[in-house]
Amino acid sequence: MSALPLAFLSPWMLLGLLALPALWLLLRLVPPRPRRVDFPPLRLLLDVVAKRETPVSTPWWLLLLRLALAAFIIFALAKPVWNLQPTAAAGSGPLLVVIDNGWASAPDWDARVQAADAAIEAAGDGGRAVALVASADAPRDIGLVTAGQARERLRVITPEPFDPDRKPLLPPIDKLIKTVPSTEALWITDGLARGDAHAFAEGLKTALGDGRLTVRADARSARGLAAAENQPGALTVKALRAEAAGSEPFRIRASDLRGRTLADVDGRFEPGARDAVATVDLPVELRNDVARLEIVGAKTAGAVQLLDQRSKRRSIGLVTGASTDVAQPLLSPTYYVSQALKPFADVREARGQGASQAVEAFVAEKLPVIVLADVGALTQEAHEALSQWVKNGGVLIRFAGPRLAGAPEDDLSPVRLRQGGRILGGALAWETPQPLASFSPNGPFAPLTVPKDVTVNRQVLAEPDVDLPDRVWATLGDGTPLVTGVRQGKGLTALFHVTSDTRWSNLPLSGAFVEMLRRVVDLAGSNPPSKPQEGAAAPQAAAGARAAVLAPTRTLDGYGAFRSPPATARPAPAEGRPAATQDNPPGFYGPVDAGVALNVLAPDAALARADLSGLDVNVSPIVVAEPTPIAPWLFTIAAVAAIADSLIVFLLGGGAALLSGRRAGTAALMIAAAGLALAASAAPGLAQQPPVKPAIDERFALEATLSTRLAYVQTGDFEVDRLSKAGLEGLTQTLAQRTALEPGSPMAVDPAKDELSFFPLIYWPVVNGAPTPSPEALARIDAYMKQGGAILFDTRDALTAAPGVENEALKRLLAGLDVPALEKVPDDHVLTKAFYLLNDFPGRYSGSPLWVEALPPVEDGEERPARAGDGVSPILITGADLAGAWAIGANGDPLLPTSGDERQREMAYRVGVNIVMYTLTGNYKADQVHVPALLERLGQ
Amino acid sequence: MAVRAELVEREAARVTVRHEDAALDLAASLPRLLVAARRASSTVAHGLHGRRRSGVGENFWQFRRFSQGDPVGRIDWRRSARDDHVYIREQEWEAAHTVWIWIDRSRSMAFRSSLASVPKIERAVVLGLALADLLVRGGERVGLLGVTRPTASRLAIERLGQALVFASEDTSELPPAEAPIARLAEAVLIGDLLAPEDEIAASVARLAARGGRGHMVMIADPAEETFPFSGRTEFVDPDSSRRLVAGRAEDWRAGYAERLARHRAALGEIARRHGWSFTIHRTDRPASEPLLALHARLAEAAF
Repeated sequence: MSALPLAFLSPWMLLGLLALPALWLLLRLVPPRPRRVDFPPLRLLLDVVAKRETPVSTPWWLLLLRLALAAFIIFALAKPVWNLQPTAAAGSGPLLVVIDNGWASAPDWDARVQAADAAIEAAGDGGRAVALVASADAPRDIGLVTAGQARERLRVITPEPFDPDRKPLLPPIDKLIKTVPSTEALWITDGLARGDAHAFAEGLKTALGDGRLTVRADARSARGLAAAENQPGALTVKALRAEAAGSEPFRIRASDLRGRTLADVDGRFEPGARDAVATVDLPVELRNDVARLEIVGAKTAGAVQLLDQRSKRRSIGLVTGASTDVAQPLLSPTYYVSQALKPFADVREARGQGASQAVEAFVAEKLPVIVLADVGALTQEAHEALSQWVKNGGVLIRFAGPRLAGAPEDDLSPVRLRQGGRILGGALAWETPQPLASFSPNGPFAPLTVPKDVTVNRQVLAEPDVDLPDRVWATLGDGTPLVTGVRQGKGLTALFHVTSDTRWSNLPLSGAFVEMLRRVVDLAGSNPPSKPQEGAAAPQAAAGARAAVLAPTRTLDGYGAFRSPPATARPAPAEGRPAATQDNPPGFYGPVDAGVALNVLAPDAALARADLSGLDVNVSPIVVAEPTPIAPWLFTIAAVAAIADSLIVFLLGGGAALLSGRRAGTAALMIAAAGLALAASAAPGLAQQPPVKPAIDERFALEATLSTRLAYVQTGDFEVDRLSKAGLEGLTQTLAQRTALEPGSPMAVDPAKDELSFFPLIYWPVVNGAPTPSPEALARIDAYMKQGGAILFDTRDALTAAPGVENEALKRLLAGLDVPALEKVPDDHVLTKAFYLLNDFPGRYSGSPLWVEALPPVEDGEERPARAGDGVSPILITGADLAGAWAIGANGDPLLPTSGDERQREMAYRVGVNIVMYTLTGNYKADQVHVPALLERLGQ
Repeated sequence: MAVRAELVEREAARVTVRHEDAALDLAASLPRLLVAARRASSTVAHGLHGRRRSGVGENFWQFRRFSQGDPVGRIDWRRSARDDHVYIREQEWEAAHTVWIWIDRSRSMAFRSSLASVPKIERAVVLGLALADLLVRGGERVGLLGVTRPTASRLAIERLGQALVFASEDTSELPPAEAPIARLAEAVLIGDLLAPEDEIAASVARLAARGGRGHMVMIADPAEETFPFSGRTEFVDPDSSRRLVAGRAEDWRAGYAERLARHRAALGEIARRHGWSFTIHRTDRPASEPLLALHARLAEAAF
């Protein structure tokens, strides 16, 4: 490769440059053509003695121009291409293509597939067999196939949402190379060291021996997200990159389970840093709703962090031993606790049942936190369930009271209690009420400031055991514990040595009470420091050993979009995994409110570039710029030079007289014509199009108007256009069979030049990569929509589109249009009743909503079965590929299968009939509701 | 400034109604033209305009008493019956002149440069037809040499114009050689007269063989006179399609001017030799100039 990304497809044409000197001689010899003049008295002139004629030679600069012209044409014929796609090694043996399809390949997957496709195609052209391996797929035997088969297979490879595991690929590769030693290899890698990249490269190199290994990698690799943590103050997440490059901004989007955006946060990689921490600062209530964090625009599963219930709003079961007295809530022992818990938790109170039943019910519901307010003794079953629950991670908060004070010893208290309470400051006691003195620095209350106004009149006392000091979280002025707590298994128990109401102390009235409860509740879901990330603190069902696995609910695909779990997804262990694997793709596992989330990157993950420097491999970039043929431009320059040459010759021959004389107009015309020719040649793509028609082509107008016709927009994609035509033909037949409308056969329109106003409905299949219409065309489309036309945009991507992601092509298309506010077709929209009664709008694919212009809101007191705004919605958007469902062949059979059964096709036809009826009749059906009133007014 | 010169299209060079109209306009500005009768003689072909004396004619002139020797057949019996005398009816003597006009219609006449407003052929036709109209209004007979017979009709312009329209293509640069004109007739040759001098001399000598008088009008485009060309130029002769490439046309100007002057001098000499007149008309001048000159020449009394 030369330094310039310039290559010639027919370099032998450059030999023509050798002919230039000959041309130079020739041009030197041929003088410019004289100016021709009719001259009747020539005979007289002939008699004049001829003067000595000096030979006239071509001026040197004109010579230069002509030589340059010839050189440009020769260069253009040599088919120069800028940014020619590099192809794989042009050997003769089979080509082994290894393509990384882990999450890091997803952002530029199309480019990777293109690169692989080009390499395979080149190999196929050379008659070489191809072996294609995707590194994130399960290893299997590698067989040689033809290029065509390999391309077929390449098409179905998709990026997977986990790291590629490359090492298992080496044995089959080794086997292949041993069989066919002349194999050469192309490795399209994601550039990351993850997945044994270096070892794989070494192994590949060793296996190849002296065969060539070409590596395609991009300088910039994917970005990742890891270690999302719901810290007390905010949600933090770590953004990762593999290159210690310069400063780079990124944006983190936090959204909830339903995909609604909760916050966008900007972050920035510092220069040289490979990770950056972004902080999502939200109110705790909103923060608990965050289920997904992602880097905006990263388009990879690695840049998504899913959050499970650990950071979610907790449900707290509240059980009291006292009989509930709802008539006097202020006296209820649970009133203050529930009020204090409400800001950050859902409080469920046990009503109308005994404490033991309530505890069993709450344990069965897998609540993370249970509060027992002055509960003395439980039944044996409840007690066992509760202690098992605590061992599995439950947080038990107990409050003292007369019942607890009188209850026998149990193991659900953090400390052993003395029987009976202790009364301070009473009439018979000499001690004064004790204030709250300090929070233990080891306890969860350490950061809180000690309130001055809390006094305790009565408390239960702990036995002074050896381990008591470790378990005290808060102490009174005389050193007796007020709050104690201890971890038991994965969970913990905490005991407030006072009641949950104001009988024993005024602690429940204090603001510190809320903070203290919050601190304790926050401990639910956090893990013992010795085992980070393990367990997800899921308070599983009591029989934790049995419920060891959770089935996948929703998983991510390689691009980071949610999808239903693939068939290969296995249940994940209940305690979760640090990182996703092939068997456990990232996503949510288990029930919605108690599942675990698996992420691509473990919390301690870091990204690094694969180090290939020690290996003798040829590394070239993947994403190369689009190859641009330069020949049209060279031809254009040559044409300009030719025109300039003509003008010069014209002027040399006395053409200036023409320019200044009466025929200046003609000359101006000639120059204008030359300019036109220039413009035509400057746009080689346009030059191939038929000449622009006049404003309204009469034949087109007659054809379009002599009968009502459906129309579709020609996209230029032959297959799409064929389907649009076949689809509208199918719909036309259906309309003719079932309705009073008998449309003519559908027509293709080009919004850039055809008059659109003849058509009631235009079907517009949105093709990715289709050029954006010109501003003039957009103006025409806009006018058509404003003046009552309707356009049905079909993105045809209901199956493939990521939810909530707008179709890029459609977005680009609509960017230039004045689109009204849209809504999904509401149940009472007239579209659902225009001909058939419809509930949804399926096409080839079901489930894609149909978007129409938003209707004005229902007025109060108005009860109408059908609503329609004024006129017809100018725009309808669906992704269901309606034309695909309608499309019929010449014999009337459907061309394409639907995603469902044949009934779905019938429904698609009904959708089509309704849409056409809607565009033709507007709000007529909606107005039908007035018929009874009208009849009544007429005196019936 | 370079001068552009070209041949107008064949269609544009054809004689059409517009020439007749232009000729009529031109002729209307001049008085009646009486060609001087050089010799009063009854042998002159019957003419149309009266000579204010009795003689052979169609119009009544006077009654006079019958005198001895008068032919009986000339007695006007109706007049004689009114009194006792016998009267003879005398007609006014009418003597007519025949003028032959020849208009060069060769391809070279279609030449026009940017210095002139009309091609040479246009000027020649207008001039010829206007002259014909003047002559006819003066009572003379006019014919187009080689195209029509003489006519004295008041509609001469239309007739001659029609004849020119339908005449066969004539590419010769000289009048037809068929017959010399009559002794008392006159010839008017209108053309660019660029043929070789000896051919012109032979042609004129043939026409004047019987003593007919004549006038030569040389229609010249200003470009043919001033030779305003420069630079590398290829000159093409429209009649013979011969061509000449001049490297620097301006170098040829002096020689050409000198040669043109010699050509004209030779033509003047030919005219003088036969008692004819020779006029040069440039197409950038008004057409009335040569018409006036011809008028004057033709009206010269030469009794």
